[in-house]
Amino acid sequence: MTRIVVDRVWKKFRRGETHDSLRDLVEALARRMLGGRKPDPTELGKRDFWAVRDLSFEVEPGQALGIIGPNGSGKSTVLKLLTGILRPTAGRIHLSGRIGALIEVAAGFHADLTGRENVFLQGAIMGMRRAEIGRRFDEIVEFSGIAPFIDTPVKRYSSGMNARLGFSLAAHLDPDILIIDEVLAVGDFAFQQRAFAHIGEMARRNIPVVIVSHQLDRIASLCTTCILLKQGEVVRRGTPAECISQYVQEVSQTVASEDMAGLPVRITALNLATTAPVKSGEPFAFSIEGAVHDAAAAERLTVAIRVSAANTGQLVYAVGTGRMGITFTEEGPFRLAWRLDSNVPAGIYSIETMVYDSQQNRRLAAGPSAYMRVEDPIGFSGPVQLSAEARLSPIGTPVAR
Amino acid sequence: MTVLSDAKVRRADPALEARVAEPAPPPEPPALGLFGQLPATVRDLWAHRELVYQLTLRDVRIRYKQAIMGFGWAIFMPVLIIGSGLLVRFSMAQMSGRELISTVVAGMAIKALPWAFFAGAIGFATPSLVSNANLVTKIAFPREVLPVSATLAQTFDSTIGTLVLLILLPFLGVIPTVTALWAPVIAVLLFLFTIAVGLLLSCGNLFFRDVKYIVQVILTFGIFFTPVLYEPEHLGPRGTQLIMLNPLSPLLEGLRLSVVQGHNLLVPLTAVSKTGVVFTTWDPWYLVYSAACAVGGVFIAALVFHRLESLFAERV
Repeated sequence: MTRIVVDRVWKKFRRGETHDSLRDLVEALARRMLGGRKPDPTELGKRDFWAVRDLSFEVEPGQALGIIGPNGSGKSTVLKLLTGILRPTAGRIHLSGRIGALIEVAAGFHADLTGRENVFLQGAIMGMRRAEIGRRFDEIVEFSGIAPFIDTPVKRYSSGMNARLGFSLAAHLDPDILIIDEVLAVGDFAFQQRAFAHIGEMARRNIPVVIVSHQLDRIASLCTTCILLKQGEVVRRGTPAECISQYVQEVSQTVASEDMAGLPVRITALNLATTAPVKSGEPFAFSIEGAVHDAAAAERLTVAIRVSAANTGQLVYAVGTGRMGITFTEEGPFRLAWRLDSNVPAGIYSIETMVYDSQQNRRLAAGPSAYMRVEDPIGFSGPVQLSAEARLSPIGTPVAR
Repeated sequence: MTVLSDAKVRRADPALEARVAEPAPPPEPPALGLFGQLPATVRDLWAHRELVYQLTLRDVRIRYKQAIMGFGWAIFMPVLIIGSGLLVRFSMAQMSGRELISTVVAGMAIKALPWAFFAGAIGFATPSLVSNANLVTKIAFPREVLPVSATLAQTFDSTIGTLVLLILLPFLGVIPTVTALWAPVIAVLLFLFTIAVGLLLSCGNLFFRDVKYIVQVILTFGIFFTPVLYEPEHLGPRGTQLIMLNPLSPLLEGLRLSVVQGHNLLVPLTAVSKTGVVFTTWDPWYLVYSAACAVGGVFIAALVFHRLESLFAERV
């Protein structure tokens, strides 16, 4: 029975350049020989920091653990610890069986070798036997969709072809444990769909699965449990929905709006009515708080929102107060209550706020942003549209809807 | 990854989070003593023999792809060495007034090959970990396969060179006798010694990048400190003893004596110096010394490599 056990694992890294010269080595050796005490591995040196702190989790067969968190939170370090590339400073990691790691799937490719030669090379690096690769070769090539170019050196491949071939190979591993790092965004749209379906199939094979991704909706649909990492520490563990909503909330809180200073209209906060997912087609409510500092200059300014798909960055909808007939005439703090009809497919959408100069057609400053998660239990159909309603009121006055 | 039995692993339940104050267990011990490293290394290599094969194949293919020389590469370096050796020996012959005989050429050819092998293998093995940094930092596999497959790729080249030489030997007036059976023994020792040096230097180059350049310089001039272009006896009594301290010297000399001179390596040889002193030019103990360097070297190299392996991904 294969399962993954991570037991109180710590990992220390060093900041800045490690000056490796023979002199350093001689010095360290001399110190050790002169009976100086051995440096304590759990102590932090001047430039050391914990990339992973006291991490524990277990993944049973049939479970899929998602790890999310901002860049530099230690997600990839965790995966490297799991695969054995890095050794923990303290703590234990226990796993057995063949690890299928969908990490850097084309790392072993050599530019001068053909696709065919590279499949065998990369396969061996990933621990596949030659006979096994040979048996599944046609399947691999067909999945990648680059069959006509399989005997061309990979230096002539486009980066997409390269990644697709690597992914196809890795996807045909028969692992006891599956580890996936950000490979879900390989190739064009059609390939991504195919790859995602394939990974879903692999993940349901009753083996332990660990997935790291910034594509939050992928995590939401693939994983059974989730942990949210921040600076190497677990800040939340639970269902993917719980972790994603906390992450999304924290992201929206951490986006500072420093360059607002000096503007006639400033945005101070973005409040969501709920961080729970909204059903496709239903209204999503939030409010923007801000203040008008100079009513005369504020007239040509507009407070705008931009809604885009979080995974692709594709703009879905943008609208501002100007176009909705709202002008800032009174000085003082205000609240803008918004209602978006989320007639969009399931997914995660970012809502960015900004102060916009509608005459010069340029963005003056970015305000806080938040995420909206749209679920779709029935299957979305109909035209994509996000219609917005907004009401302006001075703060303190209840907003009538 | 060390696999612990389930009983030893404490279940990481949510309650663990509450016990943050409790110290974490120590990391898995590096395990295995001095003599445990080599079996572990060999086991790892055997388990990943497909990978060793594929990486060797890669290195060989790359060397012959888009290359103007083709298989000429395999004999390029030995031919150059023999050429420069002829030049040196010709000038020596001019000074001493003795004639240059064909067995001298054969003797040089048979020493040029192993030197070319050693220099080539070390030249490829030393940067092998760093030049495959993308693999070292991203994919888990025993790192020994990189320097080992670099050495094997050179072995492929040298095998071609050896075949060419075997065809040429009779034309140089050399008919190998039964003593030539020492050659495979020496080849194995040379291979082991090369693996040992390659493992250590690839490791060294990962931590200290200038190792590669130091090695290049040493390989360029090392040929003068190894009896390739000359025989040890040319250096006189003291010089012979000194040059034999180089573990490669007894291997190369042994090869020449057993194949070209038909000499049994278990029997010592002497020569008379200009001043009339009789001194030993070959002693079976020389070969024992080289064998000890090769076998001991592999043990030590496996130990060092295994110890440092877990740091590779962080320090490369």
